[in-house]
Amino acid sequence: MDWNKDKSVRLTTVFTILLAAVLLAADVLGFIWMPWFISASAIDSSHLPALAATIYTGSIFAWICLYTMFRLLRSISGGEVFTEQNTRFLRVISWCCAGACIVFLVSVLYYPPFLIISAAAGFMMMIVRVVKNIIQQAIGMKSELDLTV
Amino acid sequence: MKIIVNLDVMMARRKISAGELAERIGITPANLSVLKTGKAKAIRFSTLMALCHELRCQPGDILEYSEDGEEKA
Repeated sequence: MDWNKDKSVRLTTVFTILLAAVLLAADVLGFIWMPWFISASAIDSSHLPALAATIYTGSIFAWICLYTMFRLLRSISGGEVFTEQNTRFLRVISWCCAGACIVFLVSVLYYPPFLIISAAAGFMMMIVRVVKNIIQQAIGMKSELDLTV
Repeated sequence: MKIIVNLDVMMARRKISAGELAERIGITPANLSVLKTGKAKAIRFSTLMALCHELRCQPGDILEYSEDGEEKA
Protein backbone atom coordinates (compact mmCIF):
# COMPACT_ATOMS: atom_id res chain seq x y z
CA MET A 1 0.00 0.00 0.00
CA ASP A 2 1.33 3.41 -0.98
CA TRP A 3 1.16 5.11 2.40
CA ASN A 4 2.16 8.73 3.01
CA LYS A 5 1.65 11.51 5.55
CA ASP A 6 -1.26 13.06 3.59
CA LYS A 7 -3.18 9.81 3.74
CA SER A 8 -2.40 9.52 7.44
CA VAL A 9 -3.85 13.00 8.08
CA ARG A 10 -6.89 12.09 5.97
CA LEU A 11 -7.38 8.87 7.97
CA THR A 12 -7.20 10.83 11.24
CA THR A 13 -9.77 13.28 9.84
CA VAL A 14 -12.07 10.37 8.96
CA PHE A 15 -11.69 8.98 12.50
CA THR A 16 -12.51 12.44 13.91
CA ILE A 17 -15.68 12.62 11.81
CA LEU A 18 -16.64 9.05 12.81
CA LEU A 19 -16.11 9.93 16.46
CA ALA A 20 -18.28 13.04 16.00
CA ALA A 21 -21.01 10.82 14.49
CA VAL A 22 -20.80 8.43 17.47
CA LEU A 23 -20.93 11.38 19.87
CA LEU A 24 -23.95 12.82 18.07
CA ALA A 25 -25.71 9.45 18.28
CA ALA A 26 -24.85 9.17 21.98
CA ASP A 27 -26.22 12.66 22.61
CA VAL A 28 -29.43 12.18 20.61
CA LEU A 29 -30.12 8.66 21.86
CA GLY A 30 -29.19 9.46 25.45
CA PHE A 31 -32.78 8.99 26.59
CA ILE A 32 -32.56 5.34 25.43
CA TRP A 33 -29.12 4.21 26.56
CA MET A 34 -28.87 6.14 29.83
CA PRO A 35 -31.78 4.27 31.56
CA TRP A 36 -30.32 1.04 30.19
CA PHE A 37 -26.88 2.00 31.55
CA ILE A 38 -28.45 2.80 34.95
CA SER A 39 -30.02 -0.65 35.18
CA ALA A 40 -27.00 -2.51 33.71
CA SER A 41 -24.46 -0.89 36.01
CA ALA A 42 -26.63 -1.15 39.13
CA ILE A 43 -26.64 2.59 39.79
CA ASP A 44 -29.54 3.91 41.86
CA SER A 45 -32.20 5.11 39.37
CA SER A 46 -32.40 8.43 41.25
CA HIS A 47 -28.98 9.20 39.77
CA LEU A 48 -30.31 9.40 36.21
CA PRO A 49 -30.30 13.25 36.18
CA ALA A 50 -26.76 13.22 37.55
CA LEU A 51 -25.68 10.76 34.85
CA ALA A 52 -27.32 12.91 32.18
CA ALA A 53 -25.54 15.97 33.58
CA THR A 54 -22.20 14.14 33.51
CA ILE A 55 -22.67 12.86 29.96
CA TYR A 56 -23.94 16.11 28.46
CA THR A 57 -21.37 18.29 30.24
CA GLY A 58 -18.66 15.89 29.10
CA SER A 59 -20.22 16.01 25.65
CA ILE A 60 -19.73 19.79 25.46
CA PHE A 61 -16.00 19.33 26.07
CA ALA A 62 -15.92 16.48 23.56
CA TRP A 63 -17.57 18.63 20.86
CA ILE A 64 -15.17 21.51 21.42
CA CYS A 65 -12.28 19.04 21.39
CA LEU A 66 -13.44 17.36 18.15
CA TYR A 67 -14.06 20.67 16.37
CA THR A 68 -10.62 21.93 17.44
CA MET A 69 -9.02 18.65 16.34
CA PHE A 70 -10.73 18.99 12.97
CA ARG A 71 -9.37 22.53 12.55
CA LEU A 72 -5.92 21.38 13.68
CA LEU A 73 -5.95 18.57 11.11
CA ARG A 74 -7.01 20.99 8.37
CA SER A 75 -4.15 23.27 9.34
CA ILE A 76 -1.67 20.36 9.28
CA SER A 77 -2.92 19.10 5.92
CA GLY A 78 -2.43 22.66 4.59
CA GLY A 79 1.27 22.36 5.47
CA GLU A 80 1.09 24.65 8.50
CA VAL A 81 2.46 22.62 11.40
CA PHE A 82 4.62 24.84 13.59
CA THR A 83 2.31 27.83 14.03
CA GLU A 84 1.01 29.76 17.03
CA GLN A 85 -2.53 28.92 15.95
CA ASN A 86 -1.82 25.18 16.25
CA THR A 87 -0.49 25.63 19.77
CA ARG A 88 -3.72 27.50 20.59
CA PHE A 89 -5.70 24.53 19.22
CA LEU A 90 -3.66 22.13 21.37
CA ARG A 91 -4.18 24.36 24.40
CA VAL A 92 -7.96 24.26 23.84
CA ILE A 93 -7.85 20.45 23.49
CA SER A 94 -5.82 20.11 26.69
CA TRP A 95 -8.26 22.33 28.62
CA CYS A 96 -11.18 20.27 27.27
CA CYS A 97 -9.45 17.14 28.57
CA ALA A 98 -8.98 18.89 31.91
CA GLY A 99 -12.66 19.84 31.95
CA ALA A 100 -13.73 16.26 31.19
CA CYS A 101 -11.32 15.03 33.88
CA ILE A 102 -12.98 17.26 36.51
CA VAL A 103 -16.54 16.40 35.39
CA PHE A 104 -15.91 12.65 35.63
CA LEU A 105 -13.96 13.05 38.86
CA VAL A 106 -16.99 14.70 40.46
CA SER A 107 -19.19 11.95 38.99
CA VAL A 108 -17.18 9.35 40.89
CA LEU A 109 -19.38 10.34 43.85
CA TYR A 110 -22.31 8.36 42.41
CA TYR A 111 -20.47 5.97 40.05
CA PRO A 112 -16.87 5.08 41.09
CA PRO A 113 -15.84 3.47 37.73
CA PHE A 114 -15.95 6.98 36.21
CA LEU A 115 -12.56 7.38 37.91
CA ILE A 116 -11.06 5.45 34.97
CA ILE A 117 -12.44 7.95 32.45
CA SER A 118 -11.32 10.83 34.65
CA ALA A 119 -7.80 9.40 34.89
CA ALA A 120 -7.70 8.78 31.13
CA ALA A 121 -8.79 12.37 30.43
CA GLY A 122 -6.21 13.72 32.88
CA PHE A 123 -3.48 11.61 31.30
CA MET A 124 -4.55 12.77 27.83
CA MET A 125 -4.41 16.38 29.01
CA MET A 126 -0.79 15.88 30.10
CA ILE A 127 0.17 14.27 26.77
CA VAL A 128 -1.45 17.08 24.76
CA ARG A 129 0.28 19.70 26.91
CA VAL A 130 3.66 18.07 26.35
CA VAL A 131 3.02 18.01 22.57
CA LYS A 132 1.97 21.68 22.76
CA ASN A 133 5.19 22.56 24.61
CA ILE A 134 7.24 20.70 22.00
CA ILE A 135 5.51 22.58 19.16
CA GLN A 136 6.02 25.91 20.95
CA GLN A 137 9.73 25.10 21.24
CA ALA A 138 9.82 24.07 17.57
CA ILE A 139 8.19 27.39 16.52
CA GLY A 140 11.05 29.28 18.17
CA MET A 141 13.63 27.05 16.48
CA LYS A 142 11.88 27.40 13.11
CA SER A 143 11.78 31.20 13.30
CA GLU A 144 15.50 31.19 14.12
CA LEU A 145 16.18 28.86 11.22
CA ASP A 146 14.06 31.02 8.89
CA LEU A 147 16.20 34.02 9.82
CA THR A 148 19.51 32.19 9.32
CA VAL A 149 21.06 33.30 6.06
CA MET B 1 24.67 45.33 22.34
CA LYS B 2 24.14 44.39 18.74
CA ILE B 3 25.84 43.24 15.59
CA ILE B 4 25.62 45.80 12.79
CA VAL B 5 25.64 44.46 9.24
CA ASN B 6 27.52 46.83 6.93
CA LEU B 7 26.73 44.86 3.83
CA ASP B 8 25.19 47.80 1.95
CA VAL B 9 28.39 49.84 2.54
CA MET B 10 30.55 47.09 1.06
CA MET B 11 28.12 46.60 -1.82
CA ALA B 12 28.29 50.32 -2.61
CA ARG B 13 32.09 50.23 -2.51
CA ARG B 14 32.20 47.30 -4.92
CA LYS B 15 29.36 48.76 -7.01
CA ILE B 16 27.33 45.56 -6.98
CA SER B 17 23.55 45.29 -6.87
CA ALA B 18 21.64 43.15 -4.36
CA GLY B 19 20.24 40.92 -7.08
CA GLU B 20 23.64 40.28 -8.61
CA LEU B 21 25.28 39.60 -5.24
CA ALA B 22 22.46 37.25 -4.21
CA GLU B 23 22.88 35.32 -7.47
CA ARG B 24 26.67 35.13 -7.11
CA ILE B 25 26.63 33.82 -3.54
CA GLY B 26 23.69 31.51 -4.16
CA ILE B 27 21.03 32.91 -1.81
CA THR B 28 17.68 34.45 -2.59
CA PRO B 29 17.34 38.26 -2.81
CA ALA B 30 14.83 38.00 0.02
CA ASN B 31 17.42 36.36 2.28
CA LEU B 32 20.02 38.94 1.31
CA SER B 33 17.51 41.64 2.23
CA VAL B 34 17.00 39.95 5.63
CA LEU B 35 20.76 40.10 6.14
CA LYS B 36 21.10 43.70 4.92
CA THR B 37 18.31 45.02 7.13
CA GLY B 38 19.74 43.37 10.24
CA LYS B 39 16.75 41.07 10.72
CA ALA B 40 18.87 37.92 10.44
CA LYS B 41 19.38 35.94 13.64
CA ALA B 42 22.39 34.02 12.33
CA ILE B 43 24.70 33.78 9.34
CA ARG B 44 26.23 30.57 8.03
CA PHE B 45 30.00 30.40 7.61
CA SER B 46 29.39 29.33 4.00
CA THR B 47 27.33 32.50 3.33
CA LEU B 48 29.91 34.70 5.06
CA MET B 49 32.70 33.04 3.10
CA ALA B 50 30.85 33.56 -0.20
CA LEU B 51 30.16 37.22 0.70
CA CYS B 52 33.80 37.86 1.60
CA HIS B 53 34.90 36.13 -1.61
CA GLU B 54 32.56 38.13 -3.86
CA LEU B 55 33.09 41.47 -2.10
CA ARG B 56 36.83 40.86 -1.67
CA CYS B 57 36.75 41.76 2.01
CA GLN B 58 37.12 40.37 5.53
CA PRO B 59 34.19 39.34 7.82
CA GLY B 60 34.99 42.39 9.96
CA ASP B 61 34.24 44.65 7.00
CA ILE B 62 30.69 43.28 6.88
CA LEU B 63 29.95 42.69 10.55
CA GLU B 64 30.52 45.16 13.36
CA TYR B 65 29.93 44.76 17.09
CA SER B 66 28.30 47.70 18.87
CA GLU B 67 27.72 48.21 22.61
CA ASP B 68 24.81 50.60 21.97
CA GLY B 69 21.21 49.75 21.11
CA GLU B 70 19.19 46.60 21.50
CA GLU B 71 20.29 43.20 20.32
CA LYS B 72 18.91 42.61 16.84
CA ALA B 73 21.10 40.15 15.02
